[in-house]
Amino acid sequence: MLPDFASVSPETKADALAYLASLDDVRVIAGGTDLLVNMKRGELCSNVVDIMNIEELRLLSGDGTDIAIGPAITHAAISAAAMLNDLAGSLSAACGWIGSPQIRNMGTIGGNLANASPAADLIPPLLIHDTVLKIESQEGKREERLDDFIVAPYETSLKPHELLTWVCIKGLPGYREGYRRIARRAAWAISRLSVAWAVREDGDRFVDVKLAIGSCTPMPFRPRNVEKFLGGRKKDDHTIGEAAALVVEEIRRITGDRPSFAYKLPVVKGLVQKALRG
Amino acid sequence: MYIGNEMNRIDALDKVLGRPVYAEDLSAKGALFGCIFRSTRPHAFIRRIDTRAAMASPGIVKVLSCHDIPGENLFGIIKKDQPYLAQDRVRCIGEPVLIVLGETEEAARKALQLIEVEYEDAEVVSDPFLSEDSTALIHDKGNLLSRRKVIKGDIEKGFKEADVIVEHTYSTSWLDHAFMETESGVGYPDSKGRIVVISSTQNIHYKQKEISRLLAVPEEKIKVVQATTGGGFGGKLDVTVEGFIALSVHHTRRPVVMRFTREESFLSNTKRHPLYIEYKTGARKDGIITAVKVGITGDTGPFASYGETVCLRAALHATGPYEVPNVHVDSRMFYTNNPVSGAMRGFGIPQLAFAHESQMDEVALMLKMDPFDIRMMNALKKGSLTATSQVLQNSVGIIETLRKVEPYWRKRSKKEDRAGFGLGCMYYGIGNTGVSNPANACLNITGDGKIALHTGACEIGQGSDTTLVQILQETLGLKIEDIVLVRGDTDTSKDAGSSSASRQTYISGGAVFDAALKMRQYLDEKGFYKGRPIREIYASEADKKLLEHNGFFDPPTTPVDPETSKGSPYATYAFATHMTEVEVEPETGCCTVKRVYAAHDVGRAINLKNVRGQIYGGIAMGVGFALMEEFVPGKSESFDNYYMPTSMDMPDVEVFVVEDREPTGPFGAKGVGEPALIPQAASIVNAIKDATGVRPFELPCHIERLKMLLEKAKG
Repeated sequence: MLPDFASVSPETKADALAYLASLDDVRVIAGGTDLLVNMKRGELCSNVVDIMNIEELRLLSGDGTDIAIGPAITHAAISAAAMLNDLAGSLSAACGWIGSPQIRNMGTIGGNLANASPAADLIPPLLIHDTVLKIESQEGKREERLDDFIVAPYETSLKPHELLTWVCIKGLPGYREGYRRIARRAAWAISRLSVAWAVREDGDRFVDVKLAIGSCTPMPFRPRNVEKFLGGRKKDDHTIGEAAALVVEEIRRITGDRPSFAYKLPVVKGLVQKALRG
Repeated sequence: MYIGNEMNRIDALDKVLGRPVYAEDLSAKGALFGCIFRSTRPHAFIRRIDTRAAMASPGIVKVLSCHDIPGENLFGIIKKDQPYLAQDRVRCIGEPVLIVLGETEEAARKALQLIEVEYEDAEVVSDPFLSEDSTALIHDKGNLLSRRKVIKGDIEKGFKEADVIVEHTYSTSWLDHAFMETESGVGYPDSKGRIVVISSTQNIHYKQKEISRLLAVPEEKIKVVQATTGGGFGGKLDVTVEGFIALSVHHTRRPVVMRFTREESFLSNTKRHPLYIEYKTGARKDGIITAVKVGITGDTGPFASYGETVCLRAALHATGPYEVPNVHVDSRMFYTNNPVSGAMRGFGIPQLAFAHESQMDEVALMLKMDPFDIRMMNALKKGSLTATSQVLQNSVGIIETLRKVEPYWRKRSKKEDRAGFGLGCMYYGIGNTGVSNPANACLNITGDGKIALHTGACEIGQGSDTTLVQILQETLGLKIEDIVLVRGDTDTSKDAGSSSASRQTYISGGAVFDAALKMRQYLDEKGFYKGRPIREIYASEADKKLLEHNGFFDPPTTPVDPETSKGSPYATYAFATHMTEVEVEPETGCCTVKRVYAAHDVGRAINLKNVRGQIYGGIAMGVGFALMEEFVPGKSESFDNYYMPTSMDMPDVEVFVVEDREPTGPFGAKGVGEPALIPQAASIVNAIKDATGVRPFELPCHIERLKMLLEKAKG
């Protein structure tokens, strides 16, 4: 059963920030596909601020390389946005695969980020798009790189009175992008493993490669050493094999060994190779 | 013709419009809400229960324990060994201890948190193999619930005659029925001083009997009605909420509502039995099977439920739909402190089909034969002797089902390396095993000129309402508007037995047919078929009792021998062949089921749409059984961590209906409910082997298991 709580639905960002500043034990709800589940499981909070009615948090704007996504935009809306399809294909794909149609119609990009699950589908694609988050409170504004925003599994740098106001990404025109998630069934499942990639090639050479791995380490991450390794190298089985091995090495370096790695590491290896081959 | 067509289900429009009131929707004015306080220990003695804080909690009316039971505290379909409310000790996690009755659901659930129980843990038996010799007795008479053997011919001689012998061990896990509607119901005292229970159930008359024992009142003091039911699959055969509701009404004389949460349903409902199957097959060079030896070890949890049925049915069907001259099956079912396992679509046979169909492919591989040919060669036919030495006289359609998929099998071709094709065959005895399991049906003419059909057969989503009405229409030549169906009420219908064992079309259908023949003769005598309206016949009949005609059908079976299982335990068998195409991604272990060709000998399809619907559903369930569904005690709590297929996992399906008519069935019909599921997992497993060269011996073969098998094979 859901515990008792009070809720407000402000229509402006200013009102939302005012509520967040004045209410005790307050949480932001942006779709609720995580928050309500957790509350049903016993996570308590006295006050909930619903930001889904705030128009200015549901805007999408961009000029080609700099794209700003409102945090209250649903997964369904993102996966349908033509601009993102063109410039951030891995994000579109992830938004099309997360949860079920019902979840995609409710869940939002901001919620997925703030929940900061190690298995969050949107985080690997956002990592490869060099995402910067704009955060506001009544005291002021700040910006933070996504890499720094998530400080631990299910933990971010967001303070209770702060609100995520923009998710700013870099579009990657000319890149071959993709996102692959592995789960026990075709849809509506938590990812056991995920890989996002953006690859720019010139003939038989990698020009620039961006990779992010989810569900393997406490937080989704980019193996930057592998990206650097690939830059400018010849696209052949040798390079691809070596890169995949380096990714696995990097995962081991981050977390040591885990029982689930018997499955996950060979799969990561296979998926990274597939992604690089294209 | 009213049968053999594609008539829409009679409940379809209402269901699409959201009209039916499911048990979960039920309430009553002034109703209390009942919740169950459950054991958190697998095996423990109860030293102290403190309900004072719960009783003092706002809105709490009563807390009931085993001491409040006026009659028998034990229930069970075959062996009555399961307490409604724990007495002195608990034998599994989730076992009910107390009923808390509150003015609201919220009040009742809150009070649950305030109950304190002091346990003294006892030794836990968590493995059926350790159960046998354990000094920790789960029941006084020992931990072996049941042992059944099937002995035919001379097993040693059979293996001597064999040129090849294939021996493997197979295992399966617990599965949840995961019906859409959790266990729910409402009860109230009626004006006649009776207790009425309306619930989500597969069998009203059984529930009526159990409640009468529980409350120590005559059966006529109890009325059980089936609400519109959101699925059963065997999980609503045992008493779920009904006993608790009746007991609560008995003590409060107020209406009582109960509704399990999904988490509670996962925790407390019976599961599919995990079986451990040691299987040895001997065959001659030419492909003829000479001997089959099977050892089956099952885990039924702490209570019998349908454990004996599964133990026996698994043994009787262990050889699959093949004629095997020398058979030795030893099937044992043990008590443990694991979750209670019970009836679930197929009663152990889907597990056995996984084993016998894997064996057929392995034998074929050794002999370099086509898996299709070896099945064809050994398949049962008219005159064959089954493993129990029953002579099959009629309606043996296995070969015909093989022929239906043969063209697709012969022309199969792998478009990609990762594709694979597999076959699965099955046979399934319709109805209960070697015992009388009759159904009644009653027809009467109503004052407004209609024929009313009274049946106790529970429609649980499988389509029995439609099928029974069609059988009636066909026999009487009546339009649907002339028929009124009155179903699922112990006041108005006699016992039709459970909606289980794929038996309602065959058995209740037989009873309806029997009643309809009598009604037809009556109507004929009264001139109906010469144009006299029913209304007039009703008006002119002085003795209204003559307007009623009862039907009855009990399939002719013989009990099986307790030592050898020799006998004719089923009057008829259903047969099927599934051919499945899969695609396996070697990098990830993901297996996608692409396409299924499913051929079923149903005797006669009363309703083609219904038959196809059952088969689609069976295939979906088979995909889950093969690839993802696994109930892990202590871990699987809800749909969050129990994966079952969604529409995205569903293959394309082509259905072929074979109609080898069963002379004892209504218009030749048998059944298809469980057969639809039984061969599916087996055919997927064989397709995985075809695609990858590795064979899964443990189900589910989920992505991790399959990937590990592939890695191991790489070396």
